[in-house]
Amino acid sequence: MSRAWFLYRKDLRIELRKKESGASMTFFGALVLVILNVAQGPGRRLTPETAAGVLWVAVIFSAVLGLGRVFARERENGCISALLVSPASPGTVFAAKACVNLTLMILSQAVLVPVFFVLFGTGLTGGPLALVPSLLLVDAGFSAAGTLLSAVSAGTRRNEVLLPILLFPLILPLVALAVKATGSALAGRALAERLPLLEPLAAFGLIYAAAGYLLFPFVVREG
Amino acid sequence: MAAGAGEPFLTVEGLRKTYGGTEALRGVSFTLDEGEFLCLFGPNGAGKSTLLKILATLLRPTLGTVRIRGFDLEDDPEAFRARLGLVSHQSFLYDDLTARENLEFYAGLYGVTDPAGRAEELLRQVDLYDRRDSPVGAFSRGMQQRLTIARALVNDPDLLLLDEPYTGLDEHAASLLRDRLGALHDRRRTIVMVTHNLRRGIESATRLGILSRGRLVFLSHRDEVDAEGFEDTYFRCMEAP
Repeated sequence: MSRAWFLYRKDLRIELRKKESGASMTFFGALVLVILNVAQGPGRRLTPETAAGVLWVAVIFSAVLGLGRVFARERENGCISALLVSPASPGTVFAAKACVNLTLMILSQAVLVPVFFVLFGTGLTGGPLALVPSLLLVDAGFSAAGTLLSAVSAGTRRNEVLLPILLFPLILPLVALAVKATGSALAGRALAERLPLLEPLAAFGLIYAAAGYLLFPFVVREG
Repeated sequence: MAAGAGEPFLTVEGLRKTYGGTEALRGVSFTLDEGEFLCLFGPNGAGKSTLLKILATLLRPTLGTVRIRGFDLEDDPEAFRARLGLVSHQSFLYDDLTARENLEFYAGLYGVTDPAGRAEELLRQVDLYDRRDSPVGAFSRGMQQRLTIARALVNDPDLLLLDEPYTGLDEHAASLLRDRLGALHDRRRTIVMVTHNLRRGIESATRLGILSRGRLVFLSHRDEVDAEGFEDTYFRCMEAP
């Protein structure tokens, strides 16, 4: 088994035991959806584009809660130093952490997307499955950028404040594209029609992943 | 770590480390042969932990080199780390995992063939086998320190670095650690330990060194040192300008 797998399995084991990140992400995201539904008022329908915006507000804000926690755990008892003196390269540590964040986002969305359709689904042509490509592509880019920046912020005293301040401007293009792609899916457009929107999402994901992989050693190592 | 013929196991040459305007290390040089056990003494701020961090590849020196069997540490740090063990001020343990899970995780990270078997063997050696399925967060300081030592030995390291390993250990645990270090020394593993505790250091080491204000002001073989008078030597070194 590879070193990345041991790292990934260790984090998921702790997460399953503590239920800190996944549960808080899901609960917070569902709460945001309910509040927005109450604000919308009874009997009103959202356009696909507005509904997509509502979904991404809930997904992005809830995901930030989990991102910070996954890396903060390595700062307790100095575990990050143990990873750095191990033969696992910083790139391997980054890849494993990004995969943990990706898994948590997917698990949280497995609950949030059905809740979204229950609350806002009336009048939308596209179903939950149509959202899968755009969700997965954004999740990949978001978890890569988020893992890098959570490593930056985990070394500071106010990491829970610093992480969103650093992360949101960086992922703005990704979220803007995600809203368009999701809106298009909710409007019932075929996958082939949505490809021009999905391709840039994949490109952003690759750029964030490559940047994270290359920059991570400089973020976690002391001078 | 491949052997370089005729080279000492560890060569530290002109090591300097500056933090801002403060010099933590001011030109430290020494060599160690395979199987030697160096104990470095010194007061707080002498540069002991900085030296250990550089040897562990956690810090880069401002100037100077570290070579293992003639090969610069910078050339292949990952191969070096695979054969390194480190006991630091912090435990490097995950409170939410059990003792067994912690050791299995680290064994996997180091590519140990049978992580479960290695974890069991080490838990027995540090007398924690009966508590193997308890979460580490529930352990006393002494138990955590014993598990920390087991963690550092998970890859059967060629070079073991120890930063104040006796801190928090009761007599039983200290005796277990002494036995483990003795066993490693018998198997020609190289050990570098930094401590304030003169008695513990003298009883285990084959080389004794004193760091003061970032300089290695004393280095000698244990056989050449009068154990009774070493305390006087230590304080003389501290007073020297």
